[in-house]
Amino acid sequence: MASAPRFQFVAGSSEHSTYRLIGWVSLVVLLVIVAFAYNDTASLTILDNEYSLGLTRITKAIAFILALLGLQVVAGFTGQLSLGQGFFFGTGAYITAYLVQDKPLFGWNYFTSLIVVVPVCFLLGMLFGIPALRIKGLYLALVTLGLAAVFPALVQLQQLQEYTNGAGGKLIDADIVAPSWLPLDGIAGAFQSIPLIGQYFGDGDLSSREEDRIWIFFLMTIVAVVCFKMVSNMIASRPGRAMRAIRDNETSAAVSGIDLSLYKTLSFGVASALGGVGGMVYVAELGIAAPLDFTQLLSILFIVGLIVGGAGTLSGAVVGGLVLAFVPEWASSTESLPGVPERWLQGPTGTLFLGLLLIVLMFVLPGGVIAGVRQLRARFVQIIPQAPGAAAAAVAVDDAASEEIAGDLDDEPSVDVAVDESDETTDTTKVGGEV
Amino acid sequence: MDLFLNRLFDALSNGATYALIALSLVMIFKATTLINFAQGEFAMFGAFIVLVLAVEQGLPMWIALLGSMGLSALFAAGFERSLIRPFDPTNHLPLVIITLGAFLAINSIAGIIWRFDPRAFPNLFGSGVAVEIGGATLRWYTVGVMATVAATAILLTLLLNRTKIGLAFRAVSSNLESSELVGVRVGPTLQFGWALAAAVGTLGASVFAADPFRQLEPTIMVRVLIFAVSAAALGGLDSIGGAIIGGILIGCVQSLLVPYTPIPNDLSLAAAVVVLMLVLLFKPSGLFGTPRVERV
Repeated sequence: MASAPRFQFVAGSSEHSTYRLIGWVSLVVLLVIVAFAYNDTASLTILDNEYSLGLTRITKAIAFILALLGLQVVAGFTGQLSLGQGFFFGTGAYITAYLVQDKPLFGWNYFTSLIVVVPVCFLLGMLFGIPALRIKGLYLALVTLGLAAVFPALVQLQQLQEYTNGAGGKLIDADIVAPSWLPLDGIAGAFQSIPLIGQYFGDGDLSSREEDRIWIFFLMTIVAVVCFKMVSNMIASRPGRAMRAIRDNETSAAVSGIDLSLYKTLSFGVASALGGVGGMVYVAELGIAAPLDFTQLLSILFIVGLIVGGAGTLSGAVVGGLVLAFVPEWASSTESLPGVPERWLQGPTGTLFLGLLLIVLMFVLPGGVIAGVRQLRARFVQIIPQAPGAAAAAVAVDDAASEEIAGDLDDEPSVDVAVDESDETTDTTKVGGEV
Repeated sequence: MDLFLNRLFDALSNGATYALIALSLVMIFKATTLINFAQGEFAMFGAFIVLVLAVEQGLPMWIALLGSMGLSALFAAGFERSLIRPFDPTNHLPLVIITLGAFLAINSIAGIIWRFDPRAFPNLFGSGVAVEIGGATLRWYTVGVMATVAATAILLTLLLNRTKIGLAFRAVSSNLESSELVGVRVGPTLQFGWALAAAVGTLGASVFAADPFRQLEPTIMVRVLIFAVSAAALGGLDSIGGAIIGGILIGCVQSLLVPYTPIPNDLSLAAAVVVLMLVLLFKPSGLFGTPRVERV
């Protein structure tokens, strides 16, 4: 029992919800701190290289996170390897750019453009999902890669020049401006007045650019949280179960009465819609939609993000998005490393690193970072699943938990906490039983 | 008529290079039912090695080409041994991911070493016009490319049908487990397939870059790979003859069909993707491929 987890929670118990609440609250606090501390100028210096941590990159990461969330649905959960996510990312970006920029006709807000972006990408995704009903695995990867490769040529078409501005890219001059009622300066001031760590929160009032950045970051975080909630609900309910069944064994899923065509096209639709939303965030942050940002390289990088985070995990999308937003940036800021000739540090070093990372991960951690984190967490925290209904089940769990903790008592020095833990578990299971 | 002939010659020379890359895809697919997404990048790197050997080291062109093909084959054999063989050959997903990783890595290594400025590639087939028919000109380049493809196809067929390792290769591609049972050393045989594919790919990229109207740069094969994949799928993915005919047909789609229809020229790649999609939808075994039966 030496490796028995340090904390144990029964799923659904009040401790479990407290544990989760603590997790969420610390996430929100972290986001607020990140927003104010890493605003604009923050950087890290290692071996004479300056690595920027600016907030704009985190907002860019949110764009990638959303696209990866979509890829998780179609590739991670439904098992349809799509190399075409960049296509929908680009579509979302261009539609947003058009709707926001073309003033006389549209001149919309970034967020209202979603009411066009989401349905259009959803339908396009369903449309491109139709071949996936007959084309499987490797072949699907080929077709979708072709789709992604076509995108830059498509938006540079003569006939679309008027809408997409061709090779130069579509520039947007509308900015998201922080509302004046928001006391951002006050919050920044409050952070700055904290002793010791206050110096990391900059100096004096925020410039209007900084305020806008913080505001965009929060808005996009909300968009991302809403999307995550929707996807995790979907994954936990009937469509999600159907998708996982299709991934695990298509034939047996079909035999169990799952409508393959419905759920496959649905997963493509959802994935593409999320890709489109990601494109909106991307263009809102960058202010330009340029054709060469959306080549098949982007789609392949999305696969890197999928695998780095861990296919089939929603939180993997967050890890993957951050990696995609920061690694290339940091790689190009690495201008000198001891023992490495300088010319080897110029050029697409970030892509090289990501490519090698992808290969190495397949050997050492095929489940991605999240699988690694989960293994690590399992040493400290255990969530004991509770069988639905029946007090008997609760009692059984209770017994099991007490036994494990009794084992814990033998060889762990932190007796007090462990005993507390066991008492509380007993209490809650009783409460659970009464309910 | 002249315009038609010129376009036809373009179709043939483009199609022939697609056929060479398609051949290298087919070699790997035949043995492992895997598509090597990094095949184009292997080939691009090989073409750069040719450039280095011929221009910087001053070796005769043909020696540089053969040397680079040999080096590519060695590299691919090492790649197969170290990165492909450790994985379960029946589970494609990790293998596809590995080849995608190799795609990114090789492409960026080439970008780091040679940068992204286009470079002139030495002439392989002599310059100028071979035959003039009316206003249409058949360049020596086109003749050379066609001859290269034909020679490659003949050599490959001989290699597969007349040599012992070719026999082993065919046995493995027909049935991996049974061939293992009768004593074929599966690993080295597949490695041979990878090496052969890389050599053919390098030849393809060199021939492609040797067109006086083109220049070599690290992203040159990214588009070509898509055309080649369509060609290979059209030909059936496991047929050598099919890859060549598929390549020529895709060349015709690009240089004949697109100009004569309202499809914008920039969308020739899209046309190839559409062909790929239609083939996979309606005849997944292509024109000359072996139909695959899925057992539950």
